[in-house]
Amino acid sequence: MEKYFLDYDWTVMAPELIILAAAALLSVIDLLLKEGGNRRLLGWISLAAVIGAGVVAAQQLGDPAYEILSDTYRVDDFARVFKLILLAGTGLILLGSFREMDREGKEARGEYIYLLLAALLGGMMLTSSADLITLFVGLELLSLASYILAGIRRKRTDSNEAAWKYVVMGGVSSAFILYGMSFVYGLTGTTNLYTAQQRLFEAYNSGYEPFVLLSLFLMLLGFAFKAASAPFHMWAPDVYQGAATPVTSFLAVVSKAAAFSLILRVLLGTYLFLLQAGPWQELVAPALLVIAAASMVIGNTAALRQTRTKRMMAYSSVAHAGYMLVPLAAVAGAMLFESTIYYLIAYLFMTLGAFTVLMVVERETGNEHLASFAGLSRRSPLAAAAMTVFLVSLAGIPITAGFFGKFYILIHAVTAREFWIAAVMLVTTVVSYFYYFGVIRMMYFRPPSDGKKVPIPAGAAVVILISLAGTLLLGFLPQWTLDFLGQMDWMSTLSPVRDTLGQ
Amino acid sequence: MMPVTSYLALGAILFSVGLYGVLTKRNAVVVLFCVELMLNAANINLVAFSKYGLYSNQTGQVFTLFTITIAAAEAAVGVAILFALYRNQNTVKVDRYNSLNG
Repeated sequence: MEKYFLDYDWTVMAPELIILAAAALLSVIDLLLKEGGNRRLLGWISLAAVIGAGVVAAQQLGDPAYEILSDTYRVDDFARVFKLILLAGTGLILLGSFREMDREGKEARGEYIYLLLAALLGGMMLTSSADLITLFVGLELLSLASYILAGIRRKRTDSNEAAWKYVVMGGVSSAFILYGMSFVYGLTGTTNLYTAQQRLFEAYNSGYEPFVLLSLFLMLLGFAFKAASAPFHMWAPDVYQGAATPVTSFLAVVSKAAAFSLILRVLLGTYLFLLQAGPWQELVAPALLVIAAASMVIGNTAALRQTRTKRMMAYSSVAHAGYMLVPLAAVAGAMLFESTIYYLIAYLFMTLGAFTVLMVVERETGNEHLASFAGLSRRSPLAAAAMTVFLVSLAGIPITAGFFGKFYILIHAVTAREFWIAAVMLVTTVVSYFYYFGVIRMMYFRPPSDGKKVPIPAGAAVVILISLAGTLLLGFLPQWTLDFLGQMDWMSTLSPVRDTLGQ
Repeated sequence: MMPVTSYLALGAILFSVGLYGVLTKRNAVVVLFCVELMLNAANINLVAFSKYGLYSNQTGQVFTLFTITIAAAEAAVGVAILFALYRNQNTVKVDRYNSLNG
């Protein structure tokens, strides 16, 4: 039975529709408000929309997978969990940056908010598309909004320059992804990810082996760009440094989570047949492992000699991208989805928390040099204590979220018998202690340049507390989250939905 | 499969020229052009495949319409960012955009 526009159950798309409506509404309201007026209202509406979308997405958890719009849009547990991560990240960033954006981008406050929502919408489309066209449109919506966000402080040279580097590098990576996609289409005649898997398998067996691999590696190159993993990480330090801090945290958390959902969806949805066919073990897994190892080594060693905290965090996020690639590279391990998603959640809380403290400190001292953290324990004991927890968690020390995140990834890698990557991970983690503890040393053992207190705005304080609670909760009771993730229907991610027609 | 190879070769050449330009050109506007060349190389592939692919059908042309639109949006954003940068720096030489470093 052919299904038409209104035959679909549109409620599955409710989270996206809420965000879309909010972004459209806010752009109109922003035009109607008088210039230079108070834009606080827009912030609250956007926050309400994000929370509403999150509630709807959370209620749908556990429902069977459903595909709408001729199987191009797919809502399964994989997509819902990723959507919740993206929504949580964006909500916390919005809440934490209310005061910051008043000061940073007076003339662009409205744009900041609805571009953030547009980028979020792109990320959400990305997580639940089952079609190359939808995937590409979602990816570009996320990317284009991020380019503008990176340059939103348009009077400042460093911000412009960051946006420029981002738009050129991002454009090149999009071109690589699209070029790879064109070969997938050429070999399969379809843009559906799951149909493409069957036909790629046939094409692979009938002599088009090089083209199948070419398409995969072209896309992989672009994905590595988007996830900021080495050796395609060159843009990350510059863009993270030049963009406003809330935007940087958006790129580090939401953008990266969306990129990982893209990598997982395409590799597992379309190219998993290579596991049986052979080249996965010979080519794909080694390539992913090399990217992961290179990210860990380059990220952690380059971060050692940074004197600007945002640049340091950029290299640290490169290293974390490396950790998160390990489960996919060692696909045969015991807990592929659980360990990746656990790490993403842990990464969300600790990175957002660290960036929020960084934002507060930067706001007070006017720059983000490591030295501006000197004596923070006396200027703001709460911020210093929270930052210590976040950094300890990023370093992966026990009883924090980061420790269990790394622990599960290690278990996964060891059950897949990929011992050398586990060793690289352990060694680079130890290296990372040096720069994370450098910040802690600065906060506790260096005298402050002046004795002024660092005031924490209410929104930022709430974000710091939520991130602190998340980081500690995931560290003390990892089993809760793991059980919760274990209940999800991950395996449906790997196969198409059969029963959408004629139900 | 014979006719498609010439189109694929054209696509590959355009893609390589674009990539070379992005990596070596010093004029920011030319860099943007080169990014567009890379995106259009993929479009040529898609249209060629929709006529001569293993399973030829119309989907490729529809895909091309989407990517052309997106490439236009990307160019608009790129040029807008370049304008802002030019106002602050008064140059379009890419190697002068070097204020960010570690």
